[in-house]
Amino acid sequence: MNIFLHELKSYRKSFIIWAISMAATAALFLLLYQAISSDIAAFTKVLESVPEALRNALGFLVGSLSTLPGFYSIIFTYLLLCGAIQAMNLGISIVSREVSAKTADFLLTKPVSRAIILNAKLMATLVSLVATNLIFLAVTVPVALSQDPGTNMQLFLMISATLFFVQLMFASLGILVAVVTRKIKSVVAVSLPTVFGFFIVGMLGSVIGDKAVRYLTPFKYFDPAYILANSAYEVSFVVTGAFLIVAAIAMSYLIYVRKDIHTV
Amino acid sequence: MNIIEIRNLTKYYGKARGIVDVSFDVGAGEVFGFIGPNGAGKSTTIRTLLSLIRPTSGSAAIFGKDCITHAPEIAKDIGYLPSEVFYYDKMKVIDLLRYSASFYKKDCSKRIKELAERMDLDLKRRIDDLSFGNKKKVGIVQCLLHEPRLIILDEPTSGLDPLMQQTFFDLLREENRKGSTILLSSHVLIEVQRICSRVAIIKDGRIIRTEKMSELTENNYKKIRIETGRITDDSRFDLPGVSHLERKDALLSFFFKGNINLIMKRISEVEISNVWIEEPTLEEVFLHYYQKGEERA
Repeated sequence: MNIFLHELKSYRKSFIIWAISMAATAALFLLLYQAISSDIAAFTKVLESVPEALRNALGFLVGSLSTLPGFYSIIFTYLLLCGAIQAMNLGISIVSREVSAKTADFLLTKPVSRAIILNAKLMATLVSLVATNLIFLAVTVPVALSQDPGTNMQLFLMISATLFFVQLMFASLGILVAVVTRKIKSVVAVSLPTVFGFFIVGMLGSVIGDKAVRYLTPFKYFDPAYILANSAYEVSFVVTGAFLIVAAIAMSYLIYVRKDIHTV
Repeated sequence: MNIIEIRNLTKYYGKARGIVDVSFDVGAGEVFGFIGPNGAGKSTTIRTLLSLIRPTSGSAAIFGKDCITHAPEIAKDIGYLPSEVFYYDKMKVIDLLRYSASFYKKDCSKRIKELAERMDLDLKRRIDDLSFGNKKKVGIVQCLLHEPRLIILDEPTSGLDPLMQQTFFDLLREENRKGSTILLSSHVLIEVQRICSRVAIIKDGRIIRTEKMSELTENNYKKIRIETGRITDDSRFDLPGVSHLERKDALLSFFFKGNINLIMKRISEVEISNVWIEEPTLEEVFLHYYQKGEERA
């Protein structure tokens, strides 16, 4: 419990800043909805003039622009990108900082097993991400309702929840990367290329339109067009995502308990 | 009862040697010195004892329990001070020490205050505002606050001024009198001589020798160098007890063990322009042990 609280305290400021920044971006975009919805026909026309391949790559769903969740899904692609960076930073940093800040000699010689240390760090990561998403929703839901009181809340929340799923995937990936590597000098030097790499693969995949490519990048596990049309997630992707998270965490435990902690 | 039992402990980092076949015991209440040059394997041995690294083969036990499988249990009664101390920069000293104390199921607040006073440490400052020496003091308090039965110190005195070293050694002696066992690694012979009752000497990953401090100091070698005005007949210095007799131009150097008056007389017979009589360095002590080993073989 003491490790958990210590970790949570040291990441509190960071996740609050991330949550508020992402919520503010979403809110600003949502505030445009009323202005645009009155001219939705003209707006749709403008979008239609964009080549289809580019539209797909950028995630514009022309057909569903007339509803608030559909409109929201455009900006949400990019919020996912931010959220993924936050989650991966957190995952890498929470494990690797004992090595990079050279505090491993302190923490790992205390009378606690490595598994308990990793438990505490995982819980702190999870709680940070849950808190991020709660702050995010606390801002975006009232803004959405103010723009359109008749907003389909189920769809709005389903789209919002994908942020949490994607974050879980990137956080577990970050933890695994941190556990496997001997020492990470700069967290963003690892997280940014990784996250952008997956994002670009996702964009390219949308242009090709190949379903198999979607399995390669967490960004495409939740297709807004599918969610908007069916009010459901695609089971095969949810299962794959959950499996990847469990596998990454399980591997992290196996490696972390046996890892040699070297002097600096 | 032995507090530490190390049996054929071997660690390779890939192909690079860490330690090879290290074995020694430390008895209850002993102050045991672990001495060797940098890179000899002192830290590797200590880090294995603390289960920070896993041995390639062999085993180590503390309090009769295996170091790897029972690590958390053993750690309750160990205080560890690494050679370089690093803590969470943004924390205050007192918060860090409380965090450290929270791992042991006892109230350490009084002890923290006591130790901080002894070490002249300001508890309200932030870790990243501290000098190297002050960080070391935090390390010392952190190491002793839960009154551990076994204190493991890896090159503990670097960064401490001589006065603080004195206070620190006094503290260690008190802990030892109260019953704590101490394992202290160092590459400075004098440091070990000050406090230890027994030493293990490690070089190139292997224990060369384990012996009582008294035996080690009985071999009271002096390193003597004399500068002569002109080159004289050096054979007059070829006495029993003299070894490594070497001449480099006007400088004659050798090691001497035995009655110091004898050699002083011999030196006075020669016209000299300068003389140095010194304690041999650790490397030179090792040289001596290597040769002894070869003679026996």
